[in-house]
Amino acid sequence: MSVDSAIATAASPAARRQRVRLRSITGVWWRHAVALARVWRVAFTWFFVEPAFVLLAMGMGVGRLVGTLPEHGPYATFVTPGMVVGMAMFHALFECSWGAFQRIQGNVMETLLTTPTTVTELAAGEVAWGGTRALISTLAVGGLAVAIGWMPAVSLPGVMLVALFVGLEFGAVGLCFAAGASTLPTLTLVFTVVATPLFFFSGSFFPIEVLPAALQPVAWLAPLSPGVHVARGIAEGALDRTHLAAAGYLVFLSVAFFPLAVALLRRRLVK
Amino acid sequence: MVAESAQAAGPVIDVRGLVKRFGSLRAVDGVSLAVHGGETLGLLGPNGAGKTSTMRVLSGLSPADEGSVHVAGIDALREGRAVRRVLGVVTQDDGLDTDVNVRQNLELYGFLAGLSRREAASRTQEVLRFFALSARAEDAVDDLSGGMKRRLAIARAMVCRPSVVVLDEPTTGLDPHSRNHVWEELARLKSQGVTILMSTHYMDEAATLCDRVAIMDRGRILDVGPPPELVERHAGRSVCELRLDGASRESVREALRAARCEWREIGALFRLAGDGGDAPDLRELPGVRLDRRAATLEDAFLTLTGKELREE
Repeated sequence: MSVDSAIATAASPAARRQRVRLRSITGVWWRHAVALARVWRVAFTWFFVEPAFVLLAMGMGVGRLVGTLPEHGPYATFVTPGMVVGMAMFHALFECSWGAFQRIQGNVMETLLTTPTTVTELAAGEVAWGGTRALISTLAVGGLAVAIGWMPAVSLPGVMLVALFVGLEFGAVGLCFAAGASTLPTLTLVFTVVATPLFFFSGSFFPIEVLPAALQPVAWLAPLSPGVHVARGIAEGALDRTHLAAAGYLVFLSVAFFPLAVALLRRRLVK
Repeated sequence: MVAESAQAAGPVIDVRGLVKRFGSLRAVDGVSLAVHGGETLGLLGPNGAGKTSTMRVLSGLSPADEGSVHVAGIDALREGRAVRRVLGVVTQDDGLDTDVNVRQNLELYGFLAGLSRREAASRTQEVLRFFALSARAEDAVDDLSGGMKRRLAIARAMVCRPSVVVLDEPTTGLDPHSRNHVWEELARLKSQGVTILMSTHYMDEAATLCDRVAIMDRGRILDVGPPPELVERHAGRSVCELRLDGASRESVREALRAARCEWREIGALFRLAGDGGDAPDLRELPGVRLDRRAATLEDAFLTLTGKELREE
């Protein structure tokens, strides 16, 4: 693009009216994809090796002790969708909290904003990448589960779709922490206060019904629960009205935190 | 090339009455300046003078509280996105992406800025050559020297062939050799007709690179002009300095008062305003060494701001 045409484009009414610039979002996403590809050998352990150990320990170890759950069948098939969705959450959360925090501190985000990219588009690119990481993770761990017979192959696309929404949701949550935390110790709260409790109390490892009655509504409303519930319904091939409600709640959650993430990021970057 | 058409339309960068507040602090306190096509204008001032804040506002990175800013005719305060399409920005911290290599830093930036992947790749090769970084294209950013990192940051701003470049302290923290290298490259950009607004707190940099210099302090521009004019206007042709060589300060002060000189004390150094050093009785003062030298931008700065521009 020549300079003159660049000025002409910038000054054209169409360019001035442009509300959302798709290139900004794909550009940020592409940057993340290139960065991940550069470390793919290590990334393989994040996406596959570590989760595989956890999944196998749960399914073969705990699963041997627990045996079969009423209404759900063998523990391994019960725990698999919960694990897969929980891992998706961790990936999105890690990328958009720890990773984004590093990009804020290292002025990488400021550099990205010197292109015709807005804070909202930058945040959208970050969150889209969180969703992408959730998808990759689900493909890897879910693929393993399918291979060893703990999840039917036909359910994998549906579970991946759920993981995408979970990824978008927790990408935005992670970004809220990255933008809001002023120091690294504060940032760790996203794992100690958000991720770990959700991972264990959202119906991933045991049905929410076994919790004390007073706690059950809280657990059902917790932001990871709808994802786990819908993924399990898809994996077990038994979907009912509760899954429809949970899916609606999940879709709502997948966009609910985004405006806050944008506001916090703007406060952090635009001074 | 671009410069001519831009010049005909008035200043490429036009800032009027700009005010930027941080709480009760007026970081930029009524700045007006115009940069014409093909010109290099330097903002010269100590840390905290408001240089960075001014540049961030006109890059569309920071909102302003008052005033107007136009870049290539675009309202930077309202249309930050449009401004960033025509502007190359080099922020004070290099802001390089250490998760990707040197080449990828440029290509990804070009793509995000709107080039196709092919254009981004070919422009990357061009700017790598221009900035003598081709041999390091596949290296990790962290393996580059400080000077190379800065050149990469400038190269990144040039990927989209901007006609206007804003550089915030492009050589701060570099060793003299790297500074010279950056200066050469900025001079080459200038010779290609690029309009440059840069900030610096190095006198020699401002005097070497800039057609005009705006001296800034405490959020205000104190004077603007070509470096020789600023020197002439505020420091005269030559400067006379007295170094104490045994004499007491008070005795020197008395002699200066008697000779009706104006002076400033910088440690043990007495700097006389104007040509006061000609007074014969000063030369005969015992215990004093008298030096006379050509006035510099630093002397002009000292007169204007009442302080020295220390390199921090």
